[in-house]
Amino acid sequence: MNYLKRLLTITGILFMMILAITHLPDAMAQEAKPGQNVNPGQNTQPGWMDWSETYCPDKPVRGGYLRLAWPLYIGVMNPNHMPVLDWMTMSQMYEKLILLDANYQPTIPWLARSWQAIDDTTMVMKLREGVVFHDGSPFNARSLKYQMDWIMDKDNAAWTRSWIEPLESVEVVDDYTVKWHFKRPWGSFLGTMASVPGFMISAKALEGDAALTKVKRIEREIVSARRKAADNKHIEKAHEAKKKLDELEKQLEAFAPIAKTAKPLDTNPVGSGPYMLESFSTDNHITLKRNPNWWFGPSIGMPDMPYFDGIKVSVIPDPSVRLANLKAGAIDSIILDAIQYRLVKDDPNFNVATFPINWLVFLTFNHAKGPCADIRVRQAISHAIDRKALVMGTQFGLGRTASCMYPDDHWAHNPDLQPVSYDPELSKKLLAEAGYANGLTLTGFTINLPEAQAFAKAIMAMLDKVGITWKPVFLSITGMIEPFRNLDFDVVGNLYPWIQEPDHIATLLYDPASPFNNGRSHNKKAIELILEGRETLDETKRTKIYFDLEKTLYSNYEDAWLWWPNAVLASSRNIRGYNLDMLLKYGEGYVFSHPQWFKDGRP
Amino acid sequence: MKQYIIQRISYSLVILFFVSILIFVLGRALPGDPVQSAVMSTGMGVVSDDVIDDFKVQFGLDKPLHIQYLLWIRGFISGEWGRSIATGEEVLPMFMHRLPITLELFLGSVFWSCIIGIPFGIISALRRNSWLDVTLTTGAIIGVSIPVFWEGIIMIYLFAVIMHIFPPSGYVPFSESIQGNLLSMAMPTFIMGTQGAGLLGRYVRSSLLEVLGHDYIRTAHAKGLKERAVIVRHALKPAMIPVVTIAGLAWGYVVAGSFIVEYMFAIPGLGRMGVNAIFSNDFPVIQATLVMVAINILIVNLIVDLIYGYIDPRVRVQQ
Repeated sequence: MNYLKRLLTITGILFMMILAITHLPDAMAQEAKPGQNVNPGQNTQPGWMDWSETYCPDKPVRGGYLRLAWPLYIGVMNPNHMPVLDWMTMSQMYEKLILLDANYQPTIPWLARSWQAIDDTTMVMKLREGVVFHDGSPFNARSLKYQMDWIMDKDNAAWTRSWIEPLESVEVVDDYTVKWHFKRPWGSFLGTMASVPGFMISAKALEGDAALTKVKRIEREIVSARRKAADNKHIEKAHEAKKKLDELEKQLEAFAPIAKTAKPLDTNPVGSGPYMLESFSTDNHITLKRNPNWWFGPSIGMPDMPYFDGIKVSVIPDPSVRLANLKAGAIDSIILDAIQYRLVKDDPNFNVATFPINWLVFLTFNHAKGPCADIRVRQAISHAIDRKALVMGTQFGLGRTASCMYPDDHWAHNPDLQPVSYDPELSKKLLAEAGYANGLTLTGFTINLPEAQAFAKAIMAMLDKVGITWKPVFLSITGMIEPFRNLDFDVVGNLYPWIQEPDHIATLLYDPASPFNNGRSHNKKAIELILEGRETLDETKRTKIYFDLEKTLYSNYEDAWLWWPNAVLASSRNIRGYNLDMLLKYGEGYVFSHPQWFKDGRP
Repeated sequence: MKQYIIQRISYSLVILFFVSILIFVLGRALPGDPVQSAVMSTGMGVVSDDVIDDFKVQFGLDKPLHIQYLLWIRGFISGEWGRSIATGEEVLPMFMHRLPITLELFLGSVFWSCIIGIPFGIISALRRNSWLDVTLTTGAIIGVSIPVFWEGIIMIYLFAVIMHIFPPSGYVPFSESIQGNLLSMAMPTFIMGTQGAGLLGRYVRSSLLEVLGHDYIRTAHAKGLKERAVIVRHALKPAMIPVVTIAGLAWGYVVAGSFIVEYMFAIPGLGRMGVNAIFSNDFPVIQATLVMVAINILIVNLIVDLIYGYIDPRVRVQQ
């Protein structure tokens, strides 16, 4: 069921947020400035490099398989291919060049040691030495260059190709230094490298994967060329086909030996992360085993890292059954739905934590046709919604009322903006001015999840008070595509997960060229700012641009932004090394450097 | 008999041809773009139009419909069922991986249905209108009426969370652990089985009552045979025809019917795969699943007809 898939994707991403939680202190942000070498073990240690008793009083113990539950199976295991439905597991197998700090800024060097902009279109990046992929091949400048070339090659069908479109080329300077050449100034470069394209993959594995793809294509073309070459009726075409056949056979000879021993990356992931693939059973579970050659532990004098022998992620679609598994002791940690929070918050058997995540729940307006093309109607809707009541009533308080798209802990969030006020009288007045004094009926839809239905019904009731009848239907993701395409809606209940690089969400939602600008927003000033932000390298200037962008969107009531959710994590008390304060303070820097363990080395 | 089988198979192939066209056309008529849906489900960042178009080319969705149909049929026959748009898996291995799991679920549920439903049906028939009959009949109605999801969650909390007898969910392959497999399948098969047991009990009861009223049963009694012998030797076999009918029907509906149990107990079977595919408009999986369901139903109907012939000599004679 696709609505379940969405729910599960959502829950999955929530879980991933555990690994990507934010709130980095200023000190950390300064220490990890681009260009600065912050190699672990050196004197300039950032705040997150604390493994003392203040971090956790227990001594780490090796052993045991951590058992997690996930609503969806991981999908394919090459992050550049589609679909990937479990980024948490993915990030245990692959590591990124750069990690995000608590404000979602890409400031923490990981596989990249440092970076320095030479000019507007050139960036030099130094890479970490001593990192080895799971297949024993080294991570270095050549492997990075190969990966970027692989992504840019259309044949390899990497969906991340769109993400690195501004990339001209990668130049190998020496074994551990690369020079990035951009087609134009690329402001979101670091943010992109702290996201999916930044997950480093073994060049050897990629080469094999590419060879498999090419051999498959060439074999198909050979069959077609042979057929044409054998056609006696069209001599000229047959002659051409024979020539092509020779060429193809030569190509096949070149790729076949590599393809012979290669395995598809989609089912044979090869990263450098703390865990590597042990086994999988589609739609059932994926099991990872400890990577004994993980570079990070030895680099800080803690060679036992990571501590678990492995991680088993079981696919359990139903949230109640996931909770039952936790209660039965069959799994060790899960992300809960907001409605389940009260069921575990006082349970002495579990550690329960809530924390903010970088998602946005909002209403998309149809700007191209219908009543919402009129700003007064958008204003009326926005002011008719009591956001606080929504968060309390439908999210059980687990959320923060939203002023615009970037969450309140995001570096691009404009702190001067307050959530649109709840003012039903103003709504009525605006509606009357817009010519709807006798009421207005709006169409729309939202996802067919129970919690989406709850919030849609609450909004319907709020709008009803000011004379607006909203009649949403509840659809699966697939079902939404046609009405979005045909602009067959006035207001849509929407959700955007994973707000990291500010250019990505801004482009996706408000750039007219985006296939996901579903409301057909066409705000000229906003478009200019999006383009400016995309091409500005200076962080201070970029921050100001995104503040201005939010202000522009906010002033035009481009959409009705409702809340940024909080997540609930429940874990067995047997899991140690979990420090919520550090998690909130240091974000990904903490998460990937502080693996957890079982108290006695077993679940 | 041979001619009958050949005739039935020929009919089945013609039906299958029309079913395949219907499945293909209906699949394409569903609203929603599966590629865009997969992009949205991945839930990450910017994907440009040209990348989406590339994916369409990859899955052959850029070709005219009749070409897509012919390519699909050719691929299906040659064992290349394509790749799932929603999960990225090859469809044939995806199907074959799940088939034994659903088959086990089906056989397990038939087992529970039989050991609960048949004795209930026999006792009810023999003690017709007694308090036992009323109790068992009521039980059968309850068995059929209880929603599977409710029964499932109650059993999970009772037997897994409180009593720790069975695992709350998940599937352990038989090859990995026999005990693990039996434990993981006990609750889901029981739940599916109790649904069938109620129905089966009712059928066995009415069928047996009908048989018990026949002259040859009276003759058997008149011969001085014991009650047990009359029931077991003379009445039960003809009364089993409904059992075979129900088992056949159940297999026909198992893919759709097992979805809730597979979803609830996190069992990676065909039901979950098929329903997920429908909701994400995953053409390659929908088409393969529905064609296989159609083939299944045709084969099962054929087998059921043949079993009728074995159980009831009159059927053989008519043929």
